[in-house]
Amino acid sequence: MKEIVANITNMSKSFPTGEGDFWALKNINLSFERGEFSGFVGPSGSGKTTLLNILGSLDTPSKGEVEVLGNQIHKINQLQAARLRSRHIGFIFQTYNLLPVYNVYENVEFPLLLMKMDANKRDKMVKEAIEWVGLSDKVKSRPNQLSGGQCQRVAIARAMVKKPDLVLADEPTANLDTENSLNILDTMFKLNRELSTTFIFSTHDPKVIDYLKRVIRLRDGEVASDDPAPGI
Amino acid sequence: MILRLAFKNIIHNGYRSLVNIVVVSIVLIIMVWTQAMYYSWIRLAETQQKDWEYGKGMLRVKTYDPYDPLSYEDSHAPIPEELRSGVEQGDLLPVLLAPATIYPQGRMLSAIIKGIPAEQDILVFPSDKLSAQQSDIIPVLIGSAMAKSTRLDQGDIFSIRVRDVNGAYNAVDAIVQEVLPIPAPSADMGTIWMNLDLMRDLRGAPHSASYFVLGDSRYQDTHTRDFRFIDRDEYFADLDQMLDNERFQQVLMYALLVFLAMIAIFDTQALAVFKRRKEIGTLAALGFTKAKIILLFTLEGSIYTLLAIIATPILGFPLFYYFSTAGFPVIDGYDEFGLPGFTEPIKFIYPIYEILIVFLVILLFTIFVSWLPTRKIAKMNPVDALRNKVD
Repeated sequence: MKEIVANITNMSKSFPTGEGDFWALKNINLSFERGEFSGFVGPSGSGKTTLLNILGSLDTPSKGEVEVLGNQIHKINQLQAARLRSRHIGFIFQTYNLLPVYNVYENVEFPLLLMKMDANKRDKMVKEAIEWVGLSDKVKSRPNQLSGGQCQRVAIARAMVKKPDLVLADEPTANLDTENSLNILDTMFKLNRELSTTFIFSTHDPKVIDYLKRVIRLRDGEVASDDPAPGI
Repeated sequence: MILRLAFKNIIHNGYRSLVNIVVVSIVLIIMVWTQAMYYSWIRLAETQQKDWEYGKGMLRVKTYDPYDPLSYEDSHAPIPEELRSGVEQGDLLPVLLAPATIYPQGRMLSAIIKGIPAEQDILVFPSDKLSAQQSDIIPVLIGSAMAKSTRLDQGDIFSIRVRDVNGAYNAVDAIVQEVLPIPAPSADMGTIWMNLDLMRDLRGAPHSASYFVLGDSRYQDTHTRDFRFIDRDEYFADLDQMLDNERFQQVLMYALLVFLAMIAIFDTQALAVFKRRKEIGTLAALGFTKAKIILLFTLEGSIYTLLAIIATPILGFPLFYYFSTAGFPVIDGYDEFGLPGFTEPIKFIYPIYEILIVFLVILLFTIFVSWLPTRKIAKMNPVDALRNKVD
């Protein structure tokens, strides 16, 4: 039996609105094993990103329990959440969210600095991560000197450099053309196989869905279906 | 890591950072300049007073109150036994004073006559010029302020009337041997200097003195039956009072300047927290705690002042150098107000210790002002920050 990376039990999430609480997620029950390449699929407002944020300990559930890598997200404090994110979780955002003042090398190095890793080991891991995404010739470039696809590859390298247990990718291809989308999906798929990192996506992009090995469809905050998929 | 990121952010901010640094630096330059001006003025005034009147201290006859002209008549006492050797050895300089009436060009004016030994080296006062008596006319020295107020000039002859200790009037003719540029107002205004021996004859008070100027600090804290030690604080009380008044104005000016500089930093910080919400969210996602994010932003604001402190001696160098060599010019007419230290250009000395304290205080203010807008970060939800959502 494979190791469970994340487990969601009877979880709901609400947001206060002028007309009372709006339930963005309702009674979610899901479990993710190590090495999964799965994704939440659904239209805008279906609760994909909210679910991803809760798994990433950026948000907390209103009801129910969420356990990620042994951490109870519903009970966790800020410091523990920050530690979980810095050591075990990698994020990939739709808009890349690179630090504009850092070059490629420094952006990728950043999570390792947070982990207070020693310089030699850090340098080796950063170079390795940049090589994974094929940007070894761009280490000195700033984000504003890179294309969207290159920026997203840097974001992938940044998310993967610490070899996290879980990578959460929120609409990673939304701002990319087909060629770049396929390119970064190939990269992530390869890293998933090589490092057994669990990838969870939030997407409505068919190109991403084609790559997924498990598709969880959300509709109005509820799990509409949870099906294995062939992957690419 | 946080420091490096803060520095990179400041550099990335470009001209906005530069404007902040220059504004804070200009404020610091003005503060250093003002600080140096007051410090140098007070030092000059104190040095001049010591050189011309106070020496290493003063033993004053107990009946003498400089603020009470009615006390002048009785402001003398015989030199006490315990001070005689000091006088003979030249460690104590006796000065005898008395109220007098002078008659320059037929006018009648009040003055204080001070008798000082012609041979002395405790004060820079050129008292040797008082020994050049060639006739019955007594040589006297006056300061430029006294010359101006009495319209006396070098070579002018006028009459002096002094009462001796028994109440009988003595009158002599005096010649202005020289008009001296005396920088100490209390040794100049209303004062006529003559040879101590002649003064004692006029007063009929041999071996008497009104005060002693100390040439040797071992006489400090000496008290006799008739004389008491006047310490630095008592002697310079007026100067200190004036400095306190000036300091109040200085603090007000500093407060205004610092307020303006802090507004610039506060504004930048508030804008940064607003504009960089997404970055705040990203940092949180990468594992930064809120405390670390607040530290990053606070550090950025504080670095502006640190860089401004470094820039201050560079940007201010021409100004600082000019005033340390050419000095602050004497404003016409200031010498007439009796302000000490305003008889020659004030060459600036920069009080490093005091300046460092000012810098430190400004830095502490900056840290506070930089931190103030970052309190919002503590309340910010990382998810909202990532979405760039405004509360």
